[in-house]
Amino acid sequence: MRITLDRTRCTGHGRCYAMAPAVFDADDDGYGVIRDGGELAPGDEQEARRGAANCPEDAISLEE
Amino acid sequence: MTGTDTTPSEDVRRDPAAEPGAAEGSLFDPEIARNPQPVYKAMRDLAPVVDLGERSPTGGVALGKHEDVVAGLRAPDVFSSGFDAVRIGQVRPLIPLQIDPPDHVAYRKVLDPLFSPRRVAALEPRVRELARHLVEAVADDGACNFNAAFAEPYPSTVFLELLGLPVSRATEFIAFKDGIVRPPARTPEEREEMVIETGRQIYAVLEEVVDARTRAPKDDFISAFLTSEVDGHRLTRDDVIDICYLFFLAGLDTVTASLDCMLAFLAEHPHHRRQIVDDPGLIPNAVEEMLRWETPVPGVMRLTTQDTEMSGCPIAAGSHVVMLLASANTDERAWDRADEVDFTREVVKHLAFGGGVHRCLGSHLARLELRVALEEWHARIPEYGLAPGTELEYSPGLRQIEHLPLVW
Repeated sequence: MRITLDRTRCTGHGRCYAMAPAVFDADDDGYGVIRDGGELAPGDEQEARRGAANCPEDAISLEE
Repeated sequence: MTGTDTTPSEDVRRDPAAEPGAAEGSLFDPEIARNPQPVYKAMRDLAPVVDLGERSPTGGVALGKHEDVVAGLRAPDVFSSGFDAVRIGQVRPLIPLQIDPPDHVAYRKVLDPLFSPRRVAALEPRVRELARHLVEAVADDGACNFNAAFAEPYPSTVFLELLGLPVSRATEFIAFKDGIVRPPARTPEEREEMVIETGRQIYAVLEEVVDARTRAPKDDFISAFLTSEVDGHRLTRDDVIDICYLFFLAGLDTVTASLDCMLAFLAEHPHHRRQIVDDPGLIPNAVEEMLRWETPVPGVMRLTTQDTEMSGCPIAAGSHVVMLLASANTDERAWDRADEVDFTREVVKHLAFGGGVHRCLGSHLARLELRVALEEWHARIPEYGLAPGTELEYSPGLRQIEHLPLVW
């Protein structure tokens, strides 16, 4: 599974790294970034889905 | 123990505002602030765009469907947050709220790092000390007015310390803020006069402090703003004052209203309260779910820059538009079990802090303050309820409960 975060849509709500800290982190301004470049470890898929589902700006997409 | 869990959906049938047309112009009635969810549902069922009519202090129209509110917040070129969107005594656009893209980006670039989760995490020890001190002050009394004892002094002190305004003048500043947010006016004209006069007083205080920090910087935000650069230029004296004016109103009211709403909810819903007492690890999610359900800042204002439409309804250029965050947050089209308050929800993508480029700058600080407050309060006072016979009055607009008598 591959995960992408659209930086043009993210406005820094911080829900992704709060709900899925293994997959997402905050940058210095509090905007979301993906850890480890977007390739997910198999065990992190559920957490990645939770982070994406909680984004109020719909900025995160997952590709199977 | 007082209060029982109620099923909000039952109230829809009883509420006279559920009658077609009844919601028009009544958005700011105190009864709606007390029990808003059924009224918003009635509005959404009535029409996607509701004319608020002459009786509303804002005039204009309201959007209540989640998809429309989101679409509007994401289109600042059409739904502007500029100077005329809301008049709160300001003489220049408030920064960054009333600066739309593209200029907005540069200001947020300066301000976002100061309010990032990492920066606000460093404040937690002081915030916790303050919360503990305020809880301890009333814990043995068995009763308090939560608004006066905790909800007002706690965020005000955090904010004034952070910004670098004298905490000793907190009472005066809170009165200024109330003079803007809820002036005791009887007519719209009187309201406008009061807001402008209070605005003058706020500017005078800010000019005094900003000039003092220019001469002798301290370790506070105002001093930090004075040395910040936007696109290679120092922020001007007016820029710093326009940032502080906005913070003054946002920082002194919103967390107070949120705490009032949350403690009132928990006092009236013992099952939910016991959940967070038994498992304090649930508190961050409980904060999000109560922000969704209560939406202490029910709406944000925008002004259309051109003729447009939402869900097929036309909106003329130059219309004031209330984006009803509270309605979007309880829209059954967008939420699974919208009427159910569930602290274990897996998905809480609420709009309580707004959305789009103007997402609340202070949201990470607010979350920290709310979490720490609920942790400290429930660790010391886990069992409480509303004083018997209490009829809660929520202020329209921002939902404060000035008289919130709790007993334990």
